[in-house]
Amino acid sequence: MFLEVLISVQKVIGETKKAFLTGNEAIVWGCLAAEAEIMFGYPITPQNEIMHYWTRLAPEYGKGFLQTEDEISAGFTVCGAIQGGIKAFTATAGPGNVLMQEPFGMAEAMRLPVFAVIQQRGGPSSGTVIYSQQEVSLTAFGGNGEGHRIVYSTATHQELYDYTIKGFNTAWKYRFPTFLLGDGYQAKMREPLELYEPSERGIEIIKPHALIGVEGYISEGREPQHLRNIYSMEEELYDVVLGFEAEYNSIKNDIIEYSEFQCEDAELIIISHGVVSRAAEDAVTALRSQGVKAGSFRPITLRPFPREQLLNIIGKSNAKKILIAESALGQLERIVKNEIYGQTLPIETLFMPGVGIIDYDIMQKVKSIL
Amino acid sequence: MVAPATPKSWYLPSKPHKFCPGCGHGIVLKALGETIDELDIQDKTIFGCDIGCSLLAWDFLACDSTQTHHGRTTPVMVGIKRARPELITIGYMGDGGGYSIGSQHLLNAAVRNEKVTLILVNNTNYGMTGGQMAPTTLPGQKTETSPYGRDPDLTGYPTRGPEFISELTPEGAYVARATVSKYKQLRRFLRNALRNQIEGNGFSFVEVLSTCPTNWRTNAQQTWHFLEDEMEQYFAVGELKSPFGRGDK
Amino acid sequence: MTKEFVTRSVEAYVGEYASGKSEIAINRALELIGQGRQVTLVDLDTVEPFYTLRPLQEKLESLGINIICLSAKDAFGLGETGAMLNPKARWALRHEGDIILDIGYGVYGARTLNLVEGAKESKELKIMLVLNYSRPMTNSRERIKEYIKSFDRIDYIIANTHLGDQTTVDIIIKGNQEILAVADEIGLPVAFIAADISLAAELEKQSFSVPIKFINRYMPEAMWS
Repeated sequence: MFLEVLISVQKVIGETKKAFLTGNEAIVWGCLAAEAEIMFGYPITPQNEIMHYWTRLAPEYGKGFLQTEDEISAGFTVCGAIQGGIKAFTATAGPGNVLMQEPFGMAEAMRLPVFAVIQQRGGPSSGTVIYSQQEVSLTAFGGNGEGHRIVYSTATHQELYDYTIKGFNTAWKYRFPTFLLGDGYQAKMREPLELYEPSERGIEIIKPHALIGVEGYISEGREPQHLRNIYSMEEELYDVVLGFEAEYNSIKNDIIEYSEFQCEDAELIIISHGVVSRAAEDAVTALRSQGVKAGSFRPITLRPFPREQLLNIIGKSNAKKILIAESALGQLERIVKNEIYGQTLPIETLFMPGVGIIDYDIMQKVKSIL
Repeated sequence: MVAPATPKSWYLPSKPHKFCPGCGHGIVLKALGETIDELDIQDKTIFGCDIGCSLLAWDFLACDSTQTHHGRTTPVMVGIKRARPELITIGYMGDGGGYSIGSQHLLNAAVRNEKVTLILVNNTNYGMTGGQMAPTTLPGQKTETSPYGRDPDLTGYPTRGPEFISELTPEGAYVARATVSKYKQLRRFLRNALRNQIEGNGFSFVEVLSTCPTNWRTNAQQTWHFLEDEMEQYFAVGELKSPFGRGDK
Repeated sequence: MTKEFVTRSVEAYVGEYASGKSEIAINRALELIGQGRQVTLVDLDTVEPFYTLRPLQEKLESLGINIICLSAKDAFGLGETGAMLNPKARWALRHEGDIILDIGYGVYGARTLNLVEGAKESKELKIMLVLNYSRPMTNSRERIKEYIKSFDRIDYIIANTHLGDQTTVDIIIKGNQEILAVADEIGLPVAFIAADISLAAELEKQSFSVPIKFINRYMPEAMWS
């Protein structure tokens, strides 16, 4: 595959247009709009169509692709391509996500701008190929690191497109591995969305740069680049890890995103993420029409988590209870409780591991706990 | 309706099976069932499967069975055999599970001459996940991740597994490649492979060339043509290594 | 040997992922049932099992349609996508009455017809290509022409431009106009324009050069509903 120093950017989308797409397709268009160059991947449901569409469109847009021997390889080949200065990405799910924690961990340690799409499926192990929110802990805190990662949890196809573009930019700007956390339902559903050239919306696509094979000649005095992820002494590692933490904390406010719906005078606040938040908002509307003052809070970034914002919203509301709803057994709850430690409102839970949650489910739960 | 005669080691409650019409798995499992009956090892057999189309075989046999992660059937069978050497472990997988994600396990089990029997069904694609390219996809063959045909310059040539496996294994191993188009030979190779484990000689591996009309999108005629005139030309059928003397083809 | 009916419909609906072919296939089956005919509807979508006929099987069977697909119960416990085919699908043409084949996408397009015994050779077969102008692979005249070229045979085009719940009359008219223009240019007949029945009142005021059929949505809006 040619690696040109100056890659001429082909206008992929052209004029803004509405399209009817499946989630996996929306992600591919987002990757193209974000000027991704190469995908490495391995078959696993429900993200296969990302590979199918990418390979279909690759010749037209001059993009690269390799189906590797497994997910460990897919993750490490992405790391390699990124070190070489090319925008590479991958997508996976379930057991594939588990395998990719090794390369994602290396990316954390070496501050590589990896962007990966996770389409959650039932777990543990092979679980189901369908849907869940059971890869939250894995995606946010996987590997043997400290969770210095950025995780976007999307809920609509428009967001799949928007946050793919944003995800690449966030990764290449801040150099923390960045994830788009979707799920099997989002992957397969069909929805209308707007495709646009990022420049039309004032979004500047951040250009990649190489970490090895950089400009200049060593024989003429250029410093050789020595990259590593291992240290000899405890103190060395300590400084590195605390350095990451300081940097991560300093950029949090630039990255954190959330949305809230009717929390101002809410007596009960529902906390959920991803597609479940759509059901939560529908539930709030229905409950309000029945005289129940419910509100919904949705973290869009699970890492970094909108802690101050959530504490603020709880403080300003009339909430007497919190309900956490997720298609997992407490993976979101664990993060929330950790982040809002000190908060004394009772927390109720609606856990449906691997099962979709509709507004009716949330409404029934709310009525039973009021 | 009169049910057809089936091997004793077939599990009847799971029949009719779920394999697609024209799929070669049915033939391989019939041969395997008959061989297990013939060698009278039903009570000692442990059957392991992967998560691709081989997954549809997890309750196929009336033998204790275990489903593993993708590509991990080999190490699980190795673990069982090392814990319980008296059991006959049969690992069943596809070309993806065997030559791709599971290749390092296959290689190492071969080098260590593990006394397991592995059967790898090769239909040149990842069937269950919708037809992606596999290590054994032929040059020019279209799949969901090689939509314009496999380009060997980009992705290499098809993996010839039994060839490299037989190079890695020491004496005592049995390595062969069979095809669903030659049933008697398939039976003979499976019998030799299992005999090899029963006698404690070493590793046994049989790749079986098989059909996948669903993902190949072929009718009956085209299916047999692809198997016999294309796959069998590229992948040589026969015994590559055998403690039982040079087998006939 | 299949009895040769004087007239029977054997229609294969092909098209891109999310082009609407399953919805149209179901509506067509119901249209034929409504005419008192015998109908078999076959799910040949080997890549996308969760967005096809399976969830609707019981409902459609209660309306008199013979459905051939793998029921969710059959696939229960057997993971991955379930790129599995019901063996009955192979012999679908042996059924009496009309046969509607819903063919999934994939690199092979209409080659999937090979999986149904006698389909390609059948004199009764009509291959219907469903096109949605709102899909990026078919959103320009050039792209539509390229796409049609990838099939070795198409008998009719069905213009099904829509944008899900954001569909407007304008989108339908503009998109289908382009499809009709391409069809005209390459000499392929357009069987009809398909549109959601909720827009019937507005669309009936317009005039089109081809018939317009209003379709009901039977497929679930969301995966979890």
